[in-house]
Amino acid sequence: MFFKSDKKNQDQVRGFSHLGENFRFDGEIDCKGEIEIAGKIKGNVKAKKLRILETGIVKGIVQAEDVEVLGHMVGNIDSKNIYIGNKGVIRGNLHFENNLTVLEGADISGHVQKNKKDKVKRSDTDKVKYLEHNKIAS
Amino acid sequence: MPSVILRDTNLQGNITEKDSITIDGIVVGEIKAEEVIILENGNITGDITADNNIEAGGQITGDLYSERIHLNNSAKIRGKLSHRNLVVDEGAQLEIVSSTRKKITNNNKE
Repeated sequence: MFFKSDKKNQDQVRGFSHLGENFRFDGEIDCKGEIEIAGKIKGNVKAKKLRILETGIVKGIVQAEDVEVLGHMVGNIDSKNIYIGNKGVIRGNLHFENNLTVLEGADISGHVQKNKKDKVKRSDTDKVKYLEHNKIAS
Repeated sequence: MPSVILRDTNLQGNITEKDSITIDGIVVGEIKAEEVIILENGNITGDITADNNIEAGGQITGDLYSERIHLNNSAKIRGKLSHRNLVVDEGAQLEIVSSTRKKITNNNKE
């Protein structure tokens, strides 16, 4: 390519992406920050924070740290925190690590499961033990 | 409400928007909208069709169809352009074939 991509401005992004009511999208979304969906999305979504607004419909697998569903969601959600508003509709499984909030009126059908996060912790403690062992040994 | 895609967001797939869409992130796929605004960090690989207006300030590889096309000074464009009005700012980096038409239709891929 004759274009050189300049890699400035890669620091933190202010605000969040917004996909409007008339937005139709087929494919994958990968957002390193926050994204708000008011349109129709077909495909998998990866984000740090995802908000599906009342007019939003997402069909696909969602992986995020925080998910807020105020609209429609068809597919599985895998997230640390999940919040479902009173008009939220879920067709799919919910896997969460920390918190699940469901308001009165939410419509959910699917498995709900709390994932254990001990895998990461265990490796951390192993590392600490190993470091301590090294300290004592030296 | 118009859509905004910031530079921490990466879309792979086709976009249809009846409103305006502002892109500062990476999009691989076709874009159809009323108005498309590509900001400086925007990187589009795919054709863009806009009814009214395309403002290009980022990197685009693909064909552009619109009533009015404005290439800003930070634009880096490679592809074919079909338009009624074309504005090119000083500094735009181009590798394009451009044609002025009386009528822009969505399917004039000749």
